[in-house]
Amino acid sequence: MHNDKTMIIIQLEGRKIRLPEGLTVIEALWDTGHDVKRGVGCLSGLCGACTVAFLEKGGKKVKFGLGCQKVVEEGLNVIMLPYFPSRVARYLLDVMEKPLEHLPEIYPELYTCNDCKACNICPEWINVAGVMKAAKDADYETATEHIMDCIMCGLCASRCPKGIAPQHVALFIQRALAKERLFPPNLQKRLEELESFQFDADLGRLAAMVDDELEAHCRQAEGG
Amino acid sequence: MYPDDMFDAIEVVTASREKRKQEKVANLSAEAAERLLRKFHPDYKESAFRNLRAGVNRGARTTHEIADLLEAFSDLDYSKIDLSPEYDTDVLVLGGGGAGVTAALFAESMGARVVLATKLRLGNSNTIMALGGMQASVDEHDSPVRHFCDTMTAGKFVGRRDLVKALVEDGPRVVKWLLDTGVDFDRDEAGNLLTKKAGGMSVPRLISIGDHTGLNIMKVLKDEIGKRDSIEVSEFTPAVELTTNQFGECNGAILYDLGRKRHFTVRAKAVILATGGSGRLHMQGFPTSNNFGATGDALVIAYRAGARLEGVDSFQYHPTGVMFPEHMVGVLVTEAIRSIGGHLVNARGERFVNELETRDVCAAAIIRECESGNGVTTRSGKVGIWLDTPLVEETSGNGFLRKRFPSLYRHLVRVKIDISKQPLLVFPTLHYQNGGILIDEKGETTVKNLFVAGEAAGGIHGRNRAMGNALLDIFVFGRRAGLAASTKMFNDPGNVTLNHVHRYYDRLKSLRISSVAKSPTLFPEFIVNKL
Repeated sequence: MHNDKTMIIIQLEGRKIRLPEGLTVIEALWDTGHDVKRGVGCLSGLCGACTVAFLEKGGKKVKFGLGCQKVVEEGLNVIMLPYFPSRVARYLLDVMEKPLEHLPEIYPELYTCNDCKACNICPEWINVAGVMKAAKDADYETATEHIMDCIMCGLCASRCPKGIAPQHVALFIQRALAKERLFPPNLQKRLEELESFQFDADLGRLAAMVDDELEAHCRQAEGG
Repeated sequence: MYPDDMFDAIEVVTASREKRKQEKVANLSAEAAERLLRKFHPDYKESAFRNLRAGVNRGARTTHEIADLLEAFSDLDYSKIDLSPEYDTDVLVLGGGGAGVTAALFAESMGARVVLATKLRLGNSNTIMALGGMQASVDEHDSPVRHFCDTMTAGKFVGRRDLVKALVEDGPRVVKWLLDTGVDFDRDEAGNLLTKKAGGMSVPRLISIGDHTGLNIMKVLKDEIGKRDSIEVSEFTPAVELTTNQFGECNGAILYDLGRKRHFTVRAKAVILATGGSGRLHMQGFPTSNNFGATGDALVIAYRAGARLEGVDSFQYHPTGVMFPEHMVGVLVTEAIRSIGGHLVNARGERFVNELETRDVCAAAIIRECESGNGVTTRSGKVGIWLDTPLVEETSGNGFLRKRFPSLYRHLVRVKIDISKQPLLVFPTLHYQNGGILIDEKGETTVKNLFVAGEAAGGIHGRNRAMGNALLDIFVFGRRAGLAASTKMFNDPGNVTLNHVHRYYDRLKSLRISSVAKSPTLFPEFIVNKL
């Protein structure tokens, strides 16, 4: 079956194994009979369920990545990482007036960060240490701007010697910041219009039209 | 890295770029578009469909892949399953994506005890893969009425009007809820919600969070659900069957614990199915952009319980799914690349369709090119056409693609493909199940106490879903289902039985249907045919 494929040898979950090239770590696991479901999600590199640690051939340093995106190559030594436990603070956003002021009590460990940059192993290339520094310096806009691509895989948290979970700290800041922003005026206006039933008559009329009439109306509305 | 034998094909794209820039490809007339669809769109390929022989939708048309599951006996040994409930709750939510989490949050807010069970990890869903944005009529020049017209038009006027009305009226309200929960949508200088225009919209209506709209909403909702005391989340426990009481009303589900490899029963006063679509059934052999768990389980278990389906012969094929490199086949390339000027180019270096045609027309045109020999073949025999991404980089400035589409750029750079210099090979990818289990405007199905929200639900999007309406739909109908389900919390759920399953099986037996399938599918086995 694999006659036309180039075969490579890798170390998978501690086992030396021969398989066709071009597979991702997840596919390699499936191909070799590992019934992996726990570390599989979107298969598009967005859900963060399939974190892996690997050592490349001749490499000195262990690297980290996503199992659905990392393509196995000759001499790779790779394992899947179990989901790393991180403390998630419990807070109720809706009872806080200025939620950002509560950051020091919600995630006190943030302030023990000494910028060692061990967390900079993000598979999404986020400068996690930079985000944590900005958060510590109360530059919340910068912090959230750079954390947008975070997929909550938790790899950074697994490296932090201070036990900080950067993904949860950043998420709190994102939520708190959103909460403190001005309520959008355009939405406010639309909600008021909805409250006063401004569109009820029109929608009711459209919903009651016969098919042809509705079709003609919509086509005309689009043209206009 | 592209293999050497593909460089010639890439050269054709580079060489024809200057010439193509001057060209304009006209929009197809309504008749021409219709002809193209009939000839090449997978929804019109009669041999891929058949009519159901049993159940509520007897005689209705659906794909073989779905019909095979609906007309089959489960491989479960029901006699070995303990029907005495291990959990008793008010509301049971099945599915941990946007719709399920929203439903759970709203049911809990009304005082109901909620169990949320999901096949994978909480949040592993198609919701996080929604890149572009969400429709909501918040723009000054927009209105729910316009949104109604655009949605009906996109759905070819077969969407249920009461559902579309609910969708557009609730739009601005769920946006408010999301903002209050801590979702940070992009704003303009005045603090207004920033709206973008996309295919099929008469005015700008797409609100977004960078290029990761769904992901950033889901992160917040997942965080929020962990802070609610009355919601119990059960991960890695897919539902394999619903249960009913003596009146045929839904009153719970049988879940399968993947870790312990055992089944257990949850009894509830109302059940909300939010298990998403069916892309991983790989309809007609198409690649899919869907999550690992999207195997259409809801259709199967709800149909056995007697719920009516609607429009399960209509699917959305997103025109641009990755076709090379091999490990990314099916992964979505966002429509935005085409809306800012990316050309679709065949093997001869020609454009063959206006890139801003609707998704179904673009997809049909790509299939036409590939079937008529104008496609590019990869080493493994897959055929696709080019999406000219370097052109976008050229017109929008150096570093644009990396900045604007960071995750796509990263994923390809990892395998040494630089989309700012080399085009991407694409082919339509199975993206969305337009139909599903029919609901009313409260989210309830034709089976009492059974609610559906999200992609599993049917009747809203007609025969084609407009971009950004799916992300809206999961919150609107998730909320409605959650609220309506919570009103059942004082009911008596009755005894847990599988009578509906036996009734349905009797029907199959009387028709001499004897196929046994692993249904619901739960997990795709696609690795086997990929090698």
